[in-house]
Amino acid sequence: MFFGKKNTAAAPKIVNQELTTKSLAKTVAEGDFVNFRLLFQAFSPARPNSSERFEDSKYSYLLPDADLESKPEFRTALTQVRADATWQHIQRELDANRPAQLPAELVIAVADNAVRLGKYTIASQAYELLRIRRRMQDEFFAQAEKALDDDNVRRAVHGYLVATGLEYNYAAFPEPLPLVADWQTKALMLHGVYPQSAEDCIPLQQPEQFLRTALTYLLLDPNAAARLESRSIQTRLAFLAELIKQRDPNWRDFVHRYREACGLMRDFEARIQHAIAERGGARVSLAREIEEMAGEDPHKIPATLLGRTIENGEWWQYLKEIAYTHPASALFVSRQIIGETEIIVPRYRGDSPVPFAVGLLPATATT
Amino acid sequence: MPTPNDGGYVNYFEILELEPDAKPGEVRKSYRTKMKNLVAEIAAVEITEERRAKYLLEMAKLNAGLFLLRETELRDTYWRDRKELIDLELEWCRAAEAGGDTNELRKSYDAHVRSFLSRYVEDAMLAGGRDKECVETSHWDAAHERHASRILRHYRNGLYQQILERLPYADVTKPNIDWTERQKFAGSVLAQGAN
Repeated sequence: MFFGKKNTAAAPKIVNQELTTKSLAKTVAEGDFVNFRLLFQAFSPARPNSSERFEDSKYSYLLPDADLESKPEFRTALTQVRADATWQHIQRELDANRPAQLPAELVIAVADNAVRLGKYTIASQAYELLRIRRRMQDEFFAQAEKALDDDNVRRAVHGYLVATGLEYNYAAFPEPLPLVADWQTKALMLHGVYPQSAEDCIPLQQPEQFLRTALTYLLLDPNAAARLESRSIQTRLAFLAELIKQRDPNWRDFVHRYREACGLMRDFEARIQHAIAERGGARVSLAREIEEMAGEDPHKIPATLLGRTIENGEWWQYLKEIAYTHPASALFVSRQIIGETEIIVPRYRGDSPVPFAVGLLPATATT
Repeated sequence: MPTPNDGGYVNYFEILELEPDAKPGEVRKSYRTKMKNLVAEIAAVEITEERRAKYLLEMAKLNAGLFLLRETELRDTYWRDRKELIDLELEWCRAAEAGGDTNELRKSYDAHVRSFLSRYVEDAMLAGGRDKECVETSHWDAAHERHASRILRHYRNGLYQQILERLPYADVTKPNIDWTERQKFAGSVLAQGAN
């Protein structure tokens, strides 16, 4: 055909439905709400009117590998995706040239699997979309409280962690978002004001007050902490100890370093006592004495707490990092000015059951 | 058939306990009485973080009430916008119930509700706090405003959620929730974690 027009139209896109099904099942099985929504976006490779294709290597991450395909949770998800009504709805939405309406039954499955996998912020977004987030939170709180009634602290703490993990931050800017655990910020807020007296110092608070502070901080929600107020101090202590363990599986690492830092503090104290005796009983300030004893490098104490030295590190840099790696650590340290330098030091009340209950100190330790 | 529901569309007449045809003098009188009582209440209690948030919001609501209702033009615009929004919600709900394509109505409603809440909750409350008459009565200052911005955003989004609860499902199909099954699911998750 000499004078005919050259055919430049691209061949119509044929979406491999098997790949669509499997990629959807993968997101459901993995509780992956981000990629689940992506598959319904205008540019999704699952849409016949988009130029993107599953066959491109850049989308290989959307497809399950052999290992996942062999798992029962994937097979369950595949069955859910393939259910007649669901699959028809999916196809209708992917074919339509408008924002898709997500199938609720799969959104519930994504959220539930996200909860099972501990991806609470993802689950909260899916439940929020379904308008059942608050009620799901209440359900977890109710079951956690029942567990606490039955003295099953481990289960109760897990319930509280799920319930608070589903919390939303309606004050987030510009749009509400799931509440995230920003320990590095929360710890700074806890220690925002330099303690002028023992009452201002969090680790030296009376056990009752300390428990309130600690539970509010670790649960990220004053309302959740308030639910525990009516429980006995022993129950709350056990709850706090378990909460610290579940929040931070590496808590023991911090405990070792904390005890080492306490050892350094005790050395200083012994030297202070010695110095006081040598000066004929004249009283000098603790900070002054520590300054003398610590020599030129008082950062040895926070570096021991953290497990590494931050070059020219300020007290707040150490605090942010230990709080990020071990959230509860911020509850057992305080700010201390030594000469020209401000550092964080380990502190605890010897007459309080808290440091023993959370394993910071061996049961035989004294102040 | 859906009936009009105004929950979530902030009603400053209700906040100031006034009829919609109240005169500017009545608005001022009610505002002053309520603000005086509120200030006295604040002075009488120990201020915690939770109480501070509650009182700041109460103050901001009263300030916005005075700011919007004491002038006829501003008041009429506010009341008309509110009524239009309620009518739009009703229209969308009826169309959704009839089973038609409601995408355009939904988009229009969404834009209107966001604009309404932004204008008559956050903006009006902050503007009220800067108004001379409000400042004199409530002693609202820059520190109040700094604390309030987060609280107002939270309040606005809370109102949006309250409205959202009764709207037709748009981004997702209407879920069919079996709460007995949900209870079992929560139990199974906790049992899995407790083992």
